[in-house]
Amino acid sequence: MKPRLPAVRPPTFRGRLHDARTATSIGRWLGAAIAVCFGTGLVSHYLQHPPDRLVDVLPSRPLWGYRLTQGLHVATGIAAIPLLLAKLWTVYPRLFAWPPVRSVRHALERLSVAVLVAGALFELFTGLLNTVQWYPWPFSFVPVHFAVAWLLVGALLLHIAVKYPEIRAHWSRESSGTLTLPATDGPDRRSLLTGVAAAVGAVTLTTVGQSLTPLKAFDLLAPRHPDHGPQSLPVNRTAAAAGVAQVSAAAYRLTVSGPNPYTLTLEELAALAQHESVLPIACVEGWSKSAHWTGVRMTDLLRRAGAPPDARVRVTSLERYGAYRVMEMGREYAHDPLTLLALKLNGQPLTPDHGYPARIIAPNRPGVLQTKWVTRLEVL
Amino acid sequence: MRTGMRRLNGMRMPMGMRRPTKMRRLTGVRTVLGAAGLALMALGAVLLWGQATRWNVVIWLAGAIVVHDGLIAPLVLGAGLMLGGVRNRGLLRGALLSAACLTLIALPLLLRPLPTANSSVLPLNYPRGLLISLAVVAAVAGLVGVVRRGRARSNRRRPNAR
Repeated sequence: MKPRLPAVRPPTFRGRLHDARTATSIGRWLGAAIAVCFGTGLVSHYLQHPPDRLVDVLPSRPLWGYRLTQGLHVATGIAAIPLLLAKLWTVYPRLFAWPPVRSVRHALERLSVAVLVAGALFELFTGLLNTVQWYPWPFSFVPVHFAVAWLLVGALLLHIAVKYPEIRAHWSRESSGTLTLPATDGPDRRSLLTGVAAAVGAVTLTTVGQSLTPLKAFDLLAPRHPDHGPQSLPVNRTAAAAGVAQVSAAAYRLTVSGPNPYTLTLEELAALAQHESVLPIACVEGWSKSAHWTGVRMTDLLRRAGAPPDARVRVTSLERYGAYRVMEMGREYAHDPLTLLALKLNGQPLTPDHGYPARIIAPNRPGVLQTKWVTRLEVL
Repeated sequence: MRTGMRRLNGMRMPMGMRRPTKMRRLTGVRTVLGAAGLALMALGAVLLWGQATRWNVVIWLAGAIVVHDGLIAPLVLGAGLMLGGVRNRGLLRGALLSAACLTLIALPLLLRPLPTANSSVLPLNYPRGLLISLAVVAAVAGLVGVVRRGRARSNRRRPNAR
């Protein structure tokens, strides 16, 4: 007898629940999570980098809008981690389908699934690391996270289109496909889904307190805590990081250019009508906290400069470096009565890290556009 | 799993049983959905191609698959094998799943090189946070196990009771 080489064989999986009903049950939650992440991500992207057409249309209300959408973006992304891992576990045996490629169509389908899996893992991984401000990769986070999001959502739509018959056949317990599966798997499947739900609950509860402040007592594993930071408010960019030395009150000037340009000292600024706004700082990294801000209304400053009621404003900071040193505000933000050039935070003068002597606080805007150390306003 | 796979392939059956007009409309919707997916993928690819570091991104995308399919998934399957036949397997699985996911989201907090940009970034004691979270998972799982056992015992004592 001729000695034969052992045939190359893919592994076999005898374990249960690697079936289409389990994949459908977990997949629809994962799909919903990806949809929420994508939608809120687009909101964040266009609020932060609005194309010129959108600048004057972006609404300043609801004032908690960005806080909600970005908090959801990060919380949903974290919740998607157990869902993605469970979903991939369920379909893992399909990686070893034999023969690996049956036809051109099959090859393309597998390629699209590879893009889907890679995109989902990549987005959750890079997003999670961004929340701790850790960038161990050789590319720029924002444009790449944005580009791969389109790749992921496209691959997801294609996947739903390809798998539609199977999804439909396993949508409910009574669906035709579900009924062909062994009935004895039912209780085990429900137990698995309960376990996945518990994991989603665990990672959510231990992190969501960074933006949902009533749950801050459970904030054990979030990169931020609402009570930690100067004046009990977290900070992203410190004065030192922005290259702003302690600003002297005597030397400070606010220059406002427009039809009637003027300059104010800090004393004169503090002597103008002061208003209070309760507005959140909401960061792109997912944390947020509401605070009491006191200062001069942007509308008052603009009116004094003779600005027309639909004017935009360009705000310049004293900071020496940074992509957000100069910030522009569309008319909705600039003329919202809640938008302040704030001098005080929770009744106390701003500390240097919160933008002493004066900073912008506007409703429904990403934190990075709440310019600190403001020295110049230009009516556009 | 072999039989399972064959069963999965049989799932296309229900399609054929539907009325032809409905099926045609359905095929139309699927085609539009698939085409939209391809268009968005193309847009993503174009956006990615505009990046000077595009090949690095491709390597990291492929690396994500390699790390998951080659490392994470086999580890999880191995853990599953060890759990086979254990009493309270479902409960144990849920607890391990929660503990593993908590550990996973804690890893960036624990491994990120220091210092951070300022003291409000990573302000908490994260080893402590992770230990507390894992202890709570273990305690809840233990409690659920005890309650279940108690209920099963009282049911055994009263076999007619429902």
